Amino acid sequence: MRVEYINPFVESAFNVLKEVLQGDVKRGELYLKSTSIPVMGVAAIVGLAGDVEGRVLFDMDKPTALKVASVMNGEELKVMDELVKATITELANMITAQAVTKLHELGFKFDLTPPAIFTGENMEVSDQDVEALIVPMETAQGKLEINVAIRERG
Amino acid sequence: MKTKEDFPEINARRPDGLKPEGTPYRVLIVDDSMFVAKQLNQILTSEGYQVVATAGDGLEGYEKYKELFPNVDVVTMDITMPKMDGLTALQKIMEFDKNAKVIMISALGKQDLVKQALVAGAKNYIVKPLDRKKVLERFLSVVSK
Ligand SMILES: [Mg+2]
Repeated sequence: MRVEYINPFVESAFNVLKEVLQGDVKRGELYLKSTSIPVMGVAAIVGLAGDVEGRVLFDMDKPTALKVASVMNGEELKVMDELVKATITELANMITAQAVTKLHELGFKFDLTPPAIFTGENMEVSDQDVEALIVPMETAQGKLEINVAIRERG
Repeated sequence: MKTKEDFPEINARRPDGLKPEGTPYRVLIVDDSMFVAKQLNQILTSEGYQVVATAGDGLEGYEKYKELFPNVDVVTMDITMPKMDGLTALQKIMEFDKNAKVIMISALGKQDLVKQALVAGAKNYIVKPLDRKKVLERFLSVVSK
């Protein structure tokens, strides 16, 4: 995966999280993961299509998802209901869209597909032959991992 | 004894969401995210606008616009949505009613996409994440024209 792809995601995750959570956000060290990705309990996925194909997966545990959704809605949300899921899904959509906008300005042409969300214990998302770069983000609400897998078409 | 009505509040500001004659501007929200729809609803109703309907995809948005017409003043239109995207729905609404006031609300801020939407007839374009001030300013500039 080309390194140029990853920076826009790091930047947009940082900016969007800071804006919607109104607090400090710290970026962790990037790392590589391959094939099967165990997720922490709540995973929102946005697909990419165009010059490249791939997907961005936003991974966090349930308490973090509830806290993030509570801040974004301005009310305390205690159960993983449709509103919490819609909020996390939209967060994923906003971060991916801002990154795609930046990549577009750099000359990479691709679009995103409507996001989807998965929740559950011991859930696994597996990709075939896809190496993913993980961007960990620390917020006051907990840790989020942004898992980016992109490959060129051809 | 004098009642409150004897002292008209000259400083009271008319909420942006009310037409000059005092009835609210009627809004149709088109967005596949329940979170965004709720957020927009809260921001708009707090300023006097009336949300008359919500649609979860472009096709439903277009159908609802036709159904509500002419009793709808402004549409907010998301872009990335299932079934029919917001740009297509915008074009269909403009074909149906060339005076429609559609405000695009998307997380995508690509220049060519914004241009494409404005050329197709959108009156404004708001890039998410949303905040109260940004939404109300853009709405005011659209309804006051
Ligand atoms: Mg959307």
